[in-house]
Amino acid sequence: MSNFPGGHTNPFGGPSSSGMQRVKEDEEMDTLVSPQGASFQPGGFGRASGSSPFGGSFNPQPVGDADLPANYTLGRRTSVSAESMNPAASASDNWSPPSHSKTQDQISRISAAVAANFLFSHLDDEQKYLVLDALFEKPIPAKGIKVISQGDAGDNFYVVEKGNFDVYIHPSGSIQAGSDGLGKKVASIGPGGSFGELALMYNAPRAATIISTEAGSLLWALDRLTFRRILMDAAFQRRRMYESFLEEVTLLSSLTAYERSKIADALETQKFAAGDVIIKEGDIGEAFFLLESGTAAVTKAENGDKVLLQYSKGDYFGELALLDDKPRAASVHALTDVKVASLGKDGFRRLLGPVEERMREQDPSKRQAGAQTGARAAAHAPHASLGGDGVDPLQS
Amino acid sequence: MGASASPASMSPSRKLFGENIAETVAQSFGKQFSHDEHRGDERKDPEHDANQAQDMRKAQEQQSIASQHSKEETSSPDEIAEAPAKKKLGQSSKLLRIEDFNLLKTLGTGTFARVWLAKLSKPRSEEEKEGIFALKVLRKVDVIKLKQVEHVRNERNTLRAVAGHPFITTLKRTFSDRECLYMVLDYCPGGELFTYLRRARRFNEPTSRFYAAEIVLILEFLHETEGVAYRDLKPENILLDADGHIKLVDFGFAKKLGNTETYTLCGTPEYLAPEVIKNTGHGKAVDWWAFGILLYEFLIGQPPFWDPNPMKIYSKIVGGHIPFPTVPIDFVRQQQRDRTPSANTGLETQRPSKQTESSQKSSHLTPDQPPRRSEKTRNSQGQEMSLFPAPAARSLILAVCTSNPSQRLGNLAGGVQQVKDHEFFKDVDWDALYKKTMKGPIIPSYSGGIDASCFDEYAPPTSEELQERFTDEMDQGYGEAFAEF
Repeated sequence: MSNFPGGHTNPFGGPSSSGMQRVKEDEEMDTLVSPQGASFQPGGFGRASGSSPFGGSFNPQPVGDADLPANYTLGRRTSVSAESMNPAASASDNWSPPSHSKTQDQISRISAAVAANFLFSHLDDEQKYLVLDALFEKPIPAKGIKVISQGDAGDNFYVVEKGNFDVYIHPSGSIQAGSDGLGKKVASIGPGGSFGELALMYNAPRAATIISTEAGSLLWALDRLTFRRILMDAAFQRRRMYESFLEEVTLLSSLTAYERSKIADALETQKFAAGDVIIKEGDIGEAFFLLESGTAAVTKAENGDKVLLQYSKGDYFGELALLDDKPRAASVHALTDVKVASLGKDGFRRLLGPVEERMREQDPSKRQAGAQTGARAAAHAPHASLGGDGVDPLQS
Repeated sequence: MGASASPASMSPSRKLFGENIAETVAQSFGKQFSHDEHRGDERKDPEHDANQAQDMRKAQEQQSIASQHSKEETSSPDEIAEAPAKKKLGQSSKLLRIEDFNLLKTLGTGTFARVWLAKLSKPRSEEEKEGIFALKVLRKVDVIKLKQVEHVRNERNTLRAVAGHPFITTLKRTFSDRECLYMVLDYCPGGELFTYLRRARRFNEPTSRFYAAEIVLILEFLHETEGVAYRDLKPENILLDADGHIKLVDFGFAKKLGNTETYTLCGTPEYLAPEVIKNTGHGKAVDWWAFGILLYEFLIGQPPFWDPNPMKIYSKIVGGHIPFPTVPIDFVRQQQRDRTPSANTGLETQRPSKQTESSQKSSHLTPDQPPRRSEKTRNSQGQEMSLFPAPAARSLILAVCTSNPSQRLGNLAGGVQQVKDHEFFKDVDWDALYKKTMKGPIIPSYSGGIDASCFDEYAPPTSEELQERFTDEMDQGYGEAFAEF
């Protein structure tokens, strides 16, 4: 493992400047040869390296799974860490992500360049927009400019807009003095390529040197703090939004704040296009839904196409599925593009255990029997006031 | 092998601390004296008095850390959880100085810390003479430069809160001077579990189970009693004591979270949970993910996700597929058997009633039986092959290594109990384990005293390590942050 100077390091870990550590004998293909996990000779430990107590006395039997890397380095692994980030502390600093205007063409080129990168591929549209917007131009005016130098601290991630760049790696782990101090050229990167993405995670030394090969090149750059801040703010806001939505769900009002935050953690975002059916009348209810954006409509077969009720941001429906296995009493379909957060019955039970009894006390369909709760239920749960009988159309 | 304290191995430490110490001590005594002088009504020589009082208090302090060493007992989780202010363990000492210790040998190093094997330099009794410590020295300037101030404070506060747990390193005292922060820890002579694992290549199932079970008890305590996420589980951070029990060390990333989430990326690349990589906020559940990776590495000899390029490790982790090797079926059976020479893992206790009870509890799994037919294949030589490790172990690994933390065993309703009830641990007597009634499966070769032969050799501190000084400017900015030491 390389050593990350920006990271926290295990005080019991390896020497801080040793670079790649290997136990030489272990570089070969891993084999499952040591049936005794624990038969040690006294004094067999404590040296920096040495021969295995099992050296050669077993018949190697190769691991058959090609998925396991055979060249695993068996040295001590260094801990890593990024700058401390605290959403509560940053809530008050009025930070907003930097915005650098780009043409639609530029945005689609950058978007294509990062499409295969897992750091970007799990972002939702909103986050992706903020991230792409935050990339700033970095002109590289001349040939021979080192954009990043092997061994240096990592700050930015780069996407090539224009020009070609050569990649050099020196076996020592950093640039050396002298004519061949850059090491070997291992690749070159042209427009649409990208490099330096590890810097978006934490401050690790650069693994290679990148040099411009022509004048008038152009890069897009993104720094770690901006990237991680965008992700953190989005995740933090989404959690708090879910928690506030969940506070309004009558059925869940007997749960503790902690239980609700566990539900908020577990909610999964689903998207529906206008016209898609979210819940189908007659189906057994398996999940409950919070509407995050867009509008949806409730219909019942007996009423034809008539929209009985509309849901918008913050509304919830289908929660009685968490209690019972009854068929849905109505359908819900998306009127616009809709984003919902949902949690299935199984996930709910796994997460919270037997809380149904507590919840049943708050069951809005039961509470309707007591007339005085009708208005309150209607205010908090729009679907519950449907048709004047106050019963959830999805679960009557 | 520098098992004993040769003068040669001591000299670097003298160089390291010699100069600053005199300075620091003089400064701090100076303050104390001038304070006393202002009282006015003192007839005797105030310097002499202060000196004597100081000496006496310091003697008590020395005696106290040495005696805790000799009669260390296991506290129950509730006893440990009592207000840290009431406990002697883990308190800050304004009297101890680095010169009170002889630094004998480096036990481990990091970018801003070095851990020394240490003894008291001026023992006043036989007990003090016997006292052996691991002294962790953190250089303030590096802590600040590497932006680890918050982590160091978290470490100090967590270790103080948890001091007394049988499987966690015991923080006895902390102190500081102008350049450094010091943590006086108990010495754990067996060295890193990492060393034993790499030598053995992999542990058999009973051995793996023993260590995994002790870690479950640690996580139960940290998560459910203290509300702390550890965040850096790996064999390098697990030491063995003289009886072969584990001690978790390095709480640099430990953080009291309660039920909230946090966002700072930290850990070790191969052990990072997917939610940490994706920066969507993470909680104590990251420790269960890492626990699964750790158990995998115990049994198979390397973690499931690896590549020379760290970004590819992260891509695999986020991808979520855990690869298991295929091995000859005899090998699977062999690994499940206890072939430990000490013949004592402390776990397979003879308590038939308990066994029956727990195997009924989790009858949905089929451990200790040959793998199911569908998992068997034949290789080109016609040898019968099977997935490795055996089903119960694989099932536990898969249950805690779920991409979605809301589906992760340990983080569900029932919490840690669900992990303890898992088939893989079906014969474990958890109470006996906590009380350390048995020895561990590996007994380190430790001859007693300052024998540190289970630890690797480390180079002495370089002059570079010592160049940069803690400046007045830094003291203004961060002095307060280190006040707890």
